[in-house]
Amino acid sequence: MSPITKDQFVSLLNAAGITDDQKHRLHAAFEKQHPQGHQVFLEWLGLPAETVRQIREQSRS
Amino acid sequence: MKTIRQLAGQFGLSRTTLLYYDRRGLLRPDYRTSAGHRLYSPADETRLGRICQLRGAGLPLREIDAVLEPSRKLRAPLGAALNRRLTELNGEIAALRRQQQVVVSLLKQPSAARRTRIMTKERWVSLLNAIGLTEADRRLWHREFERLSPEAHQDFLESLGLPAGEIRTIRHLSAAPAAGAPHEGPSSPRRKRTARSR
Repeated sequence: MSPITKDQFVSLLNAAGITDDQKHRLHAAFEKQHPQGHQVFLEWLGLPAETVRQIREQSRS
Repeated sequence: MKTIRQLAGQFGLSRTTLLYYDRRGLLRPDYRTSAGHRLYSPADETRLGRICQLRGAGLPLREIDAVLEPSRKLRAPLGAALNRRLTELNGEIAALRRQQQVVVSLLKQPSAARRTRIMTKERWVSLLNAIGLTEADRRLWHREFERLSPEAHQDFLESLGLPAGEIRTIRHLSAAPAAGAPHEGPSSPRRKRTARSR
């Protein structure tokens, strides 16, 4: 588990000027190129298993 | 004079062990009963005491035999044998310490250990490139990360399997004030930086 929450991580991405569209593309690229890495990263952010599953499914569509 | 059973009992050894010491010439009693049973003299007893002591130090029987050789001329120096053994023990202890450190680090960060094998720095950079993030954007992201949570930043960098020195450098650069930083991209919405000590 990471010492920060998912919301804090998102605020980081916002602070670095990453748009919502870029975030979606990041998930998609992550899921496509490193599916296992995507899973482990989402777990690191402390997301519940069901949420992780949903995010990964959306990233594939 | 003592029988083999008495002597074995006294030193907490088995009869078989004394028979073995006799066979390899380490402890050979001079006397026998009329029935042919071994009889150990006080000198044999003293010698067995030394043998047990050196066994306790972990010296192999071969070395014990050499350092207890009765002839002065043929006797191997005890100090040298003990020093060799000490070096050997130090090596074994060092190896155990290394194993201990690996075990402790694995227990501390099981997930980091797993992540290390999956997401490297290069993979992250290529992902971030793919969504159009420039190097300047990434630098800004590190700075915000360091500002928000130094611990999380450290944890994240460790998960990439980066060497400690590189992690220190990245965090050090991330902690630098924004004023001296190079161009960061024109339209990045960013908060005012607040000075904050770690």
